[in-house]
Amino acid sequence: MIDAIKQAVLEGDRDKVVELTAAALGAGTQPKEILDRALTPAMDIVGEEYERGDRYVPEMLISAEAMKGAMAQLKPLLADAGVEPRGRVVIGTVEGDLHDIGKDLVAMMLEGAGFEVTDLGVEVTADAFVEAVRDRGPNILAMSALLTTTMTYMPTVVDALNGAGLRDRVKVIVGGAPVTQEFADRIGADGYAPDAASAVKLAAALA
Amino acid sequence: MGEDVDRAPYLGGKIRLLSEEQIGTIDRTARSVLAKTGIRVGDERSAEILADAGANVTKDRRVMFPERVIDGALETTPSRVLLHGRGGIPPLDLGGRRVYLGTGGAAIRVLDLEDGRARDPGLADLADIAWLVEHLDNIHFFLRPVVARDVPSEILDVCKFYACLANTRKHVMGSANSPETARDVIELAALIAGGMEALVEKPIISFVTSWMVSPLALDLAACNVLTAVVERGIPVALSSAPIAGSTAPATLAGLLAQAHAEQLSGIVLAQTVRKGAPVLYGPVPAVADFHTMGYAGGAIESALLNAACVQLAHSIGVPVYSDAGLTDSKLPDVQAGYEKGMNILLIALAGGNYIHHSAGMLESMLAVAYEQYVIDNDINGMALRALRGIAVSPETLAEEVIAAVGPGGNFLTQSHTLRHIRTDEYFVPTTADRQGRSAWEDVGSFDARERAREIAKGILARPRTRFIPSAVDRQIRDRFDLKRCGV
Repeated sequence: MIDAIKQAVLEGDRDKVVELTAAALGAGTQPKEILDRALTPAMDIVGEEYERGDRYVPEMLISAEAMKGAMAQLKPLLADAGVEPRGRVVIGTVEGDLHDIGKDLVAMMLEGAGFEVTDLGVEVTADAFVEAVRDRGPNILAMSALLTTTMTYMPTVVDALNGAGLRDRVKVIVGGAPVTQEFADRIGADGYAPDAASAVKLAAALA
Repeated sequence: MGEDVDRAPYLGGKIRLLSEEQIGTIDRTARSVLAKTGIRVGDERSAEILADAGANVTKDRRVMFPERVIDGALETTPSRVLLHGRGGIPPLDLGGRRVYLGTGGAAIRVLDLEDGRARDPGLADLADIAWLVEHLDNIHFFLRPVVARDVPSEILDVCKFYACLANTRKHVMGSANSPETARDVIELAALIAGGMEALVEKPIISFVTSWMVSPLALDLAACNVLTAVVERGIPVALSSAPIAGSTAPATLAGLLAQAHAEQLSGIVLAQTVRKGAPVLYGPVPAVADFHTMGYAGGAIESALLNAACVQLAHSIGVPVYSDAGLTDSKLPDVQAGYEKGMNILLIALAGGNYIHHSAGMLESMLAVAYEQYVIDNDINGMALRALRGIAVSPETLAEEVIAAVGPGGNFLTQSHTLRHIRTDEYFVPTTADRQGRSAWEDVGSFDARERAREIAKGILARPRTRFIPSAVDRQIRDRFDLKRCGV
């Protein structure tokens, strides 16, 4: 059953994953076992295949979607059992920027990797980021921008975190087409990732 | 329209990827998308404008377009738009199959001409590129190619247009961040053109607005700019950039249907704001690279999409803002050469009217290089030569010359030869090497990039002419604080 769930995640068959997960839980399998032996290893393989160039982004996403189908069932049970998520992430596309695909991709992959993700959406102001950090106490704040004209808002958010005295409580990671490692360094972010798979690695390293 | 605009334009329409039937199918699908799915508008004002036009607006600001609304808008849309230069530069006579090539982009990196390093562009780069393009004959217009990152954003629009207009006489197109800065830019251009009326009659500037975020959602801020520009009668390109597989269907035909629907909705918006508003049909489609989901500007499928969009625009009789000259390469290398060569030739043969991005671009739209402008000037020149085709007449058939030379002779010193070798019959590239190997080795064994760098350096070293007369320049400086951007 565990192998079948793993296989269904690799194939991106959400319906099958949901069905098999329900059956496994019904048969008394521990939620943590499903997570550790089926879902996480499957997503690890997905990430590796992506990095090798054998898997395209849509093929990676469909697996993450399938994994989310299982997580919806597992989450309450894991919480009851006192299992903590791998980390907490607050994510959003910055003020002035409506582009959400890259940000959604990262959010989905992070969830797939066992992070608890709060998605603030698009055109997120510095105040909204600060409020979310204060309210939710994430380990990681992730910002996205697609436009050269909106990436310049990222340092405004970092300044706002500093102003609110929250900067040392959260790691800031940034991404998006025009963003570079150099830009991340310049604005005092803690990390930059060029794609969703490396964003997961980065988050795992920082959380 | 003056006679000067009829002078020997380059004509495309020589390649037709889509049959008439396929164009009809795509057009019908696009209209069906607009009737059933519609577009999403972000604000009350756009919703009201479109409701006035006869579109059906739902409570959640979804706008559906009946056929008659689309047809009504197309009826008032000019099929010909003239964009002017200054100082004897002939106007771009956009429409039909007439082809012009120019720059594009809002790149955030420039490769330094000295050391090739990718760095932030500044306003000085914008001025230098404008000056370079002024001297490259196969680049016909100047769409602001880089974002000057050393200028405060609130004064960037006026400063960038000033830097462009001061350094080239070719037509200048750019974007504006807000309706206010668009009005400032129009005021600046009116000072140079000799008044607002003169500017509207002979627009020396135009705008590009990314008014649509694909799929099918209006960008509120850009729509406000669009409206401000259209209200003043200045031409505008309706730029939307759907990407197959991420912001459009993964199939090329599906993207085309969506892109066409987006364009039709923009045309309705513009024509409702001002009947007869000069607009350019402006999809900037590409396929995604499915490994990065990035915009694969250099992909052959992207070129096919752009060539097909030319046909869709022709089919509704609206001048088209086309896209060619992108490459995904990070430097002027072999990849840049073959990708650009393919897509520029294809889109030119298709008959794109205002082909932007067709000089200088690298890294899709993210970078430019000085020497790439010189190289692309050659690629454009080759494409334009291809458009001219082969002239067949008694003079060019040269039967008498063949008879005069006879079997076994040669044509080197025939007056017919001398009459034709320095004419349009031949395109002479500036960066290609056609020497024998030893001659090539003697001058340093340089590749095209090196030769292009030398040409670029030579042009940049020429004494500068300012293309804004000093009296006008003083008026501009009285009105705008140009010192803040260091010019």
